[in-house]
Amino acid sequence: MTEFKPTILAFCCNWCSYAGADLAGVSRLQMPTNVHVVRVMCSASVKPEYVMKAISQGIDGVLVLGCHIGDCHYMTGNHRTAKRIPVVQKILKDVGIDEKRVRLDWVSAAEGEKFQKVITEFVDEVAKLGPNPLREVAF
Amino acid sequence: MREEHGNVAPVMIAKGEDPGDVRTDVPYQLMTILSNLYPWMSDGKKIAVLTRRCDEKALAEIFKRGYFDRARIVQIGLACSKEQIAACRCSDPVPSTVDIGEPHAGVGSDALSEKLMNMSSEERLRFWIYQFRKCNKCFACTANCPVCFCDECVLEERTFVPERGVPPGMSFHLIRAYHLADKCIECGECERSCPAGIPLLTFRKLVAKDFRDMYKFSPGDDKNVSPLLTTLEGEALEGDECNEC
Ligand code: SF4
Ligand code: SF4
Ligand code: FES
Repeated sequence: MTEFKPTILAFCCNWCSYAGADLAGVSRLQMPTNVHVVRVMCSASVKPEYVMKAISQGIDGVLVLGCHIGDCHYMTGNHRTAKRIPVVQKILKDVGIDEKRVRLDWVSAAEGEKFQKVITEFVDEVAKLGPNPLREVAF
Repeated sequence: MREEHGNVAPVMIAKGEDPGDVRTDVPYQLMTILSNLYPWMSDGKKIAVLTRRCDEKALAEIFKRGYFDRARIVQIGLACSKEQIAACRCSDPVPSTVDIGEPHAGVGSDALSEKLMNMSSEERLRFWIYQFRKCNKCFACTANCPVCFCDECVLEERTFVPERGVPPGMSFHLIRAYHLADKCIECGECERSCPAGIPLLTFRKLVAKDFRDMYKFSPGDDKNVSPLLTTLEGEALEGDECNEC
């Protein structure tokens, strides 16, 4: 049996996390390849609807990365994200989907290594959870 | 509400008019009707409306967002009957002023919520998939909800809910749950109006409990701006952008 490789969607904000991802790439840090990075202007522009849709359509894990609190390019963008994502996680839990499939974390432009760490850990964790149960569900 | 030809339906009466056979024992979401009526009311005119405790909370959410002028709404407090309280599994049924009916205590728990939360997550997911598969995307839950008041509904966006085909998929319900997280006042109208018999109120109650645990906030609380519309320090967000979406 081949090892389960989860499909991960990572939303990275343009000003910090995407630059962090870039740095990780330029520094040639080794990372799992099953992550699709989506560049957004701010972590607050990741509408919870996108996360819900991704999970409903069978994506195994969604990562939302933004600037550290206090560093958001739009001042309080990530304050909002910090309040929204936990609600998303709870709703998923209430319908029976593991809330660990969604994670919010902060990665600055200088933290290439942290980016590598977050991605690797998240991929491992989601791999342990197994495939998204909704993937096989035909609605 | 008035009974006519065997049907009970909402009725609007002008000052001095004979109200006829008024019924107050049928649950009806008058706030939704009022939202549709309000823009057509002539300036300065007032309207009195029967308000249960949940309606009162819905009004609080509507006032917070500035859709109605508080001074133009007169509330007639209605205490719900025991049977109604049991049907809604309502924990908070007594309005701030009781004009009609006898106040009764609320019930603390919802049997189905408890049963669901004691299940394994696989079983719970199976339960909800079975339920949501019955949805025929009629939008009754949205149309009858007193606190669904955005002009453009996200559930009508094709990005999130496909235009054709039923059932609409899990995302319809997850997105609706998120959008109501800081507004739903647990009136149960969605569950009553759902032709598919999906236990929507139970779902709302599960999310409401989490929301309360996380932010110490229950919708309908007059004093608070929703935690989702504040920064980490609890300050309200500024600006004239639509903060709902
Ligand atoms: S119980 Fe249903 S209809 Fe009532 S406020 Fe909540 S979502 Fe809307
Ligand atoms: S009322 Fe019931 S069937 Fe209609 S859209 Fe809502 S959940 Fe689906
Ligand atoms: S710009 Fe990075 S979180 Fe807002």
